[in-house]
Amino acid sequence: MWSKVYSGFGYWDVYVWLVFFGISSILVLWLRSLGRADYKEGTEQDEIFYGSNEVPEDGDDMGVPASSAYWGFVKALKPYYDSLVEIHSGIVSDYVGFFIFTAAVLAVLVLL
Amino acid sequence: MTGNAPFLVVGIIFFLGLYAILFERNLIKIAIGISLLEASANLLLIVLGYRSGGSIPVFTLAGEVKTMVLPTPQALTLTAIVIGLATSALLLSLIMLLYRHYGTLDVREIRRLRG
Amino acid sequence: MNWQIHLPALALAIPLLGAFASPVAGLGGRSIRNAWMVFISIATTAICLLLLNRVLAEGVMVYVMGAENWNLTLPSGLSWPIRIILQVDAFSAFMAVVGSVAALAGAFFSLQFMDKFTGLEKFSALYFLLVTGMLGMQLTGDLFNFFVFLEIASVASFGLIAFWRDRPEAVEASFKYMVISTLSAMFVLIAVGFLYGRYNAVNIAAVARMMHMGYAEKIALVFLVVSLTMKCGTVPMHMWTPDAYAEAPAGVTCLLVGVSQASLYGLFRVCFSLYGVSLGSTVVPWTIIVMGVLSMFIGVTMAVIQKEVKRLMAYHSVSQIGYILMALGVGLLAIRDPQAMAEYGFTAMKGGIFHILNYTMYKGLLFLTAGALFYSSGSRNLNEMGGLARVMPHTTFMFVIAAAAIAGIPPFNGFVSKLLIYQSTFAVYPLLAVVALVTSVLTLASFVKVFQTAFLGPARKKFEHATEAPGSMLIGMSILTIVIVAITLFPTWTLSHLVEPAAKALVDQAGYISAVMGGGL
Repeated sequence: MWSKVYSGFGYWDVYVWLVFFGISSILVLWLRSLGRADYKEGTEQDEIFYGSNEVPEDGDDMGVPASSAYWGFVKALKPYYDSLVEIHSGIVSDYVGFFIFTAAVLAVLVLL
Repeated sequence: MTGNAPFLVVGIIFFLGLYAILFERNLIKIAIGISLLEASANLLLIVLGYRSGGSIPVFTLAGEVKTMVLPTPQALTLTAIVIGLATSALLLSLIMLLYRHYGTLDVREIRRLRG
Repeated sequence: MNWQIHLPALALAIPLLGAFASPVAGLGGRSIRNAWMVFISIATTAICLLLLNRVLAEGVMVYVMGAENWNLTLPSGLSWPIRIILQVDAFSAFMAVVGSVAALAGAFFSLQFMDKFTGLEKFSALYFLLVTGMLGMQLTGDLFNFFVFLEIASVASFGLIAFWRDRPEAVEASFKYMVISTLSAMFVLIAVGFLYGRYNAVNIAAVARMMHMGYAEKIALVFLVVSLTMKCGTVPMHMWTPDAYAEAPAGVTCLLVGVSQASLYGLFRVCFSLYGVSLGSTVVPWTIIVMGVLSMFIGVTMAVIQKEVKRLMAYHSVSQIGYILMALGVGLLAIRDPQAMAEYGFTAMKGGIFHILNYTMYKGLLFLTAGALFYSSGSRNLNEMGGLARVMPHTTFMFVIAAAAIAGIPPFNGFVSKLLIYQSTFAVYPLLAVVALVTSVLTLASFVKVFQTAFLGPARKKFEHATEAPGSMLIGMSILTIVIVAITLFPTWTLSHLVEPAAKALVDQAGYISAVMGGGL
């Protein structure tokens, strides 16, 4: 009872979730234990599959760099991102300009 | 009418300072703009505490007077001036370092951090 | 006489002593300076915890500086307070505890993180000056002293951001922050001048009691709201945040997160306690809500495309501040209407204040793990990292906890506060909750990106000799991890013992005023 957080619309109980996580991790471990353990070590079955290519020596050659992450998302929102990056110009006068602009807009709204 | 003239001066100095920060390109001039803003805020405090014909707000020095100017704004202004001194000194030393690193004082060229 | 009545003054005096005695401690060599830094941070945190404990037990504390008696707020029958007054209610004490815990973690982290640099006695002096400024903003009951502590905190943070002054970017970030922050401080000072001109008082409670909306008060309100939202990094005035947070040393960034909460404290002290019910129209609450929504969305979308790990996290601070602003804006919207307050306003405020606690803890931890990454890999660029989980298992573990908490994955603490915010803002305007949910998803997306590129992946040759972060850095991170796990496991206790009293204190304007002004209300 004391572990519930009431939000006025429902409640949140962390211990129910912890029990849920416990049960689900037991399930996951059980599923994992069903996997085959009878593969042959030292043969092709043991090797990394890298698109039928040689596996590079250094991890640098096979990692995906961060700037490639969410490429499609950024591409789809290109107009939005272009204007947003343009706003973050890095010029301090612009920073001050936004500050004064916000102050002016808020002043007009409050005083009217 | 003349009683409000100091407030007009406060406004003029304030907007001059803002103009300098917004539209000047030289970092030193931006620093001057900030000093102008500080001056206008200090002047505002002093003017707010002024009572016409008032004397200094120190009992032992004022002598026989009827009105004194308010002491609190003067204490506030002193504090604000000290803070302003610290900020100006730090601002100018940062500008000096920026000039050493970037070789320019143009605000539009000091923008390696963006995006 | 109980010594605990002096706690508010001690909370300021101890870090101040720590700051000015740091150069002396520095004379004794590195280990004495480190011991001094640890001692002062622990003492400050302990004092803040005792302060919170006492405030929760006995209500609002006032402390009058320089009077014959510590609680003589109205000397010789005057009707307004004339001395410097510290006023600590549950909200102030809560914020002080949050800030001092962040400072403690940052101090531990900095011990070894900054070890290879010189001028460390200046570093610790500035560090504790920043702590003093932050605590002063949170504990003062006086508008002008708020300005003074704001400037102390600002000047100390300019120095700390530019601490690596041989890096051009650090000096640039410090300069930009300095220009806009000094400008906003002058706005605060002018607003204080306006209120002084109207009421001949600078004490928050005294001004609040006489508050009567006119043009001067409205202009003062605009100036205060705009400058304080700028100081905590709200869109569209957030551009200094990624610069400053990314360029400061990691331990300092952890503290800067706490300091931005002090500005947030000032904003809500002004809105709730100073103006409160006399705020009149709903313009200011809605402005805060709209700024919050914009911060959430623009902050998180900018974070998705960042390549530098600390810059990415700094954009997340912008978006997390948005949650807090939105929640407390909804609370402010309901302040004149007891029914709305009971229905959703108070829940929103609980969510917002709970989020302040959660945000400071997990964001501080994230910045510290970013610092650990920098320490081990020598880079902040995510493109150059990879496979670091192999060499830094402890950091990885703590990063996962913090990232799960910030993304609001149940059962972590971030989820609880976000749940309260979603449900209460949905009652006001469903779109708000939708934006908040989308933001949460994008937050998760960008932290998956950090986790995948920095920690996962095959081992890199260049990190063959990279090692786990050393002892004191791990201690700093573990402090915050332990707090996060504790909040996660005991959300009910945290809500009823820390958050609810703070929310009640914030709403209770009359109680705040009468603590200083006596029964005069």
